[in-house]
Amino acid sequence: MSKKAPKGEYIETDTGNKVSRRSQIIGTANIILGGKTVIQAEVIIRGDLLRTYPSSSGDGGKGGHPVAVAIGRYCFFARACDLRPPGKMYKGTFSHYPLKIADHVFIGPSSIIEAALVGSHVNIGANCIIGKFVIIKDFVRVLNGTVVPPNMVIPSFSVVAGIPGRVVGEVSEGEVDGFDLRDIYRSIGN
Amino acid sequence: MSTFMPYAYFQCPCTDSFPQSRNLGDESPVSVSSSFDQDDRTFDPRAPRANYSLYPLEHLLYCEDCHQIRCPRCVLDEIVTWYCPNCLFEVPSSTVKSEGNRCTRSCFQCPICIAPLSVSSVEPHPEGLGAENLTVGGPYVLNCAHCYWSSKEIGIQFDKPNGIFAQLAKIKNGGEPIITARERRKDREERNRDTSAGPAVDEDGVQEERAANLDPNEILDAESQFSNLKAFYQSQLAEASPTSALTFSGGDYGYGSPGALSRIMGLYTGGSFADKKSKSKKGMMREAQDALEGLQIVSPTSEDEIINRLQTEGWDSTASTVQKDEQSTYTRFINDLRPIAHLLRTKRAKRCKTCRHILSKPEPKVQTTRFRIRLVALNCIPSISINPLSPLLPGQKSAFLVTPLKPTQFLLTFTNPLFEIVKVNIATPAQTPGRFANKVTVLCPQFEIGANTDAWEEALREGSKGIEREKRRTKAEATEGQHQAEAGKVWERGRNWVSVVVEVVPASLSFEGPDFMKSEEMLRDGGALREDEDVLEIPVFVRVDWEADAAHDESGGLSGGGRGESEVREKRELAYWCVLGVGRIAQD
Repeated sequence: MSKKAPKGEYIETDTGNKVSRRSQIIGTANIILGGKTVIQAEVIIRGDLLRTYPSSSGDGGKGGHPVAVAIGRYCFFARACDLRPPGKMYKGTFSHYPLKIADHVFIGPSSIIEAALVGSHVNIGANCIIGKFVIIKDFVRVLNGTVVPPNMVIPSFSVVAGIPGRVVGEVSEGEVDGFDLRDIYRSIGN
Repeated sequence: MSTFMPYAYFQCPCTDSFPQSRNLGDESPVSVSSSFDQDDRTFDPRAPRANYSLYPLEHLLYCEDCHQIRCPRCVLDEIVTWYCPNCLFEVPSSTVKSEGNRCTRSCFQCPICIAPLSVSSVEPHPEGLGAENLTVGGPYVLNCAHCYWSSKEIGIQFDKPNGIFAQLAKIKNGGEPIITARERRKDREERNRDTSAGPAVDEDGVQEERAANLDPNEILDAESQFSNLKAFYQSQLAEASPTSALTFSGGDYGYGSPGALSRIMGLYTGGSFADKKSKSKKGMMREAQDALEGLQIVSPTSEDEIINRLQTEGWDSTASTVQKDEQSTYTRFINDLRPIAHLLRTKRAKRCKTCRHILSKPEPKVQTTRFRIRLVALNCIPSISINPLSPLLPGQKSAFLVTPLKPTQFLLTFTNPLFEIVKVNIATPAQTPGRFANKVTVLCPQFEIGANTDAWEEALREGSKGIEREKRRTKAEATEGQHQAEAGKVWERGRNWVSVVVEVVPASLSFEGPDFMKSEEMLRDGGALREDEDVLEIPVFVRVDWEADAAHDESGGLSGGGRGESEVREKRELAYWCVLGVGRIAQD
C-alpha cells in the first residue's frame, strides 16, 4: 500500500491536499476538499454527478457552485477507490444527492463509496462496497471486503463486516485514538 | 498464508485468579497443568484458555485505583442509553421494559439477508409535476435493496408509510389480520359476561352475535396461545379462590396469596393438604377446553400439510438456520418469515469489578461520541510494535515469513504513554512452548524509556522536524546497512520510545528427522500441523516500574487518603504477560 511514489506523484494544494497526478477527479468545481487530504493514484471522484432535483432547503441557491462531493480534513483515499454521489428516483425524477465525508476518513484500496454521509474517524477497508445512501456515523470500522447494503445506517463505534454488511462488533474505548490520520498524512511524501 | 500482520496481545491478569479446574483433554498441553502452581510458570499462548485472556492493548482498560489492567471479562457493564441502531432514536428504559428490546418505529431488517428494509409505495408514481402529484398514496411495502426481497412476497402491505411496527403486529403473513392480545381479552370478557348473564343462551346464537369474533377451533400461533392459556388459568385461579381474587384482582400476580398457595398445593397433593373446612373450594380447576382458552389439539394429520409443502416446494422454500435464528418464533418456510425489527443497541459505562470505580463512561446522548471518563490501558502501559530488523530481501514475499532454523531478528519498539520515565524488564522463555520450540533471545532485556512529554512539545516537534528525524533514521539504517545488534544495548531510542532487538531461531515444521531432535510433545502425538501452528508466537513477560507523582495520580480518586500527600513519589509496578506474533514459519 505504501508504494514509494516517484518524485512528483502528488500535487499539493494550498490547503495541504495531496492529490495524485494519476487520479481521476471529474467535476472539480463541485468538489470541496477540507484540506490535508491524500488522494492516491487511480482514485475516481465523480463531482459531475450533481443533484438535479431542486433542494428543499436553499443551500444550492446561495450562489457559488453546487456541491456533489464534500470532503473534510485528513482524509485518505487509497489507490483506486471510487467516490460517487448516490442517486435515486424520487417523485418521478432521477437525481443524485451529495456525498459528504467528514474528517479523518480512511478509504481502502478499490473500495466503492456511494454513501450519503460518512462521519468522522471512519476506517473503510479494502475492496468494500458502501451502498447507496448509507449513513456511517463517527468511529466506525468497515472490514475488508464488506458490502454495506443500500440505506443502511451504521451507528457510532460499530465494526461492520460481511455480505451484506452487519455490525459484528464494537470499537472499544482504546481504539478511538487509532482513527486519527494525521500521522498517515505526514508520512506521505511528495 | 497470504498476509501476516504482526501483533502484540496482552494478557489480562484477571485470569490468574481462576484456578484451572479441569483438564481440557488432549488439546491441553501438559506443561500448563503440571507447572501451573509454580510461580515461575511460563505463559503458553497456545493453551486453549489463552485465547480468553489475550487482548490487543486497545481493548484493555486500566483501573487507576487498583493499578491494574482490566479486560472485558473483569469489568461490569452498565447500560447508559438504549437506542435503535437504524433510526438512532433513544428508547427510554421504561419502554424497553414494556415493549421489548426491538425498535417499535419503522426499522426492519430483511428476513432473507438481514439488510435494512425501506418503505416504498407499490403505486407507480403519478405523471406530471403538479402539487397534487407530490404525495404518493399507499399501499406501502417493505423493500430490501440488497436482495430485492419485498414484503409483497409474504403478502404484507401497509396503509401508512410510518408506524410499520404497529401495523405489522396486526397482519399475518398473507394479509390476514392478527387478533391482538387486547382484542382477545375483550372477546373473553364478552364471553364471560354472556355466560354469566344467561347460561341458557344457545351456543349457536352467541356465535352468530359475534360473527366477527373468535372461532373456538382456530389454530393459534405460539404467542396468542400463550396469552390465551395465561388468561384462562388466571381466571381459573380467580374463580377458585374468590377471596384472594378480591384482593388481587387488579394484578397479574395473584399467586402469592396464602389462599392461592394452599390451593395450588392442594392441586398437587390430591386435595388432602387443602383446608378441610373450605368445602366451597372443592371444585377442582378445570383445564382449557378450546382455542379461546389456549387449547390446541394436535391431530395426527396436522403435519401433513407441512410434509406436502416440503415435498412439492422442496429445499428452496425452507428457511436457513441463520434465517430461523433471527425469527422470534419457529419458522420452517421462507414464506413464513417475517421482517425483523431492529434490535436496540446500548451505550454502556464500564466499572472495575474489584473496586467498582468507573473506567469508562460515554455521554448519554446517542449522537455524541465523547466519553466523560475513559481510562484505557493504552494511556498507562507501554505499547509494543514489531518490525523486521533487516530490510526485505528481493524474492522474499513478506518480512514476516520466516525461514526455519535461520536466526531472524525483529525489532520491538516500546512506546511510553506515561509522563514519567519507566523502567522496563522483559523476559522470554528460551524456547517457546508448544510442539515446535522456537529459540528466542532478547538482546536487551532491561532498559529505560523516556517520559511522554506534554502535548505542547509534541506540537512544536510536529511538522518538518518530526519527518526529518524519521528520515534520518531510515537513512542511517540504509547507509550503515545492518550494524550488528549488540547484546545488552538498546537498538535505538527516541523521546518516549525504545527499540530492542529480539532474535528468533524458528523451529522446523517438519516432522521428519531423528527422534532426539523432537520435543517430547511432538513424539507423543506427531501427526499433521494444527491450525496456526506455524505462527511464531513469543510469550514475553513485561515488568514495568516507574515513580509516579502520587498527588497527580490520585487527583481523580478520593480513596487515596493516607498516601495523598503531594511531593511524595510513589513507586509503581506492573507486570504482565504479552504474546508477540512475529511471523509465520515457512513450510518447505
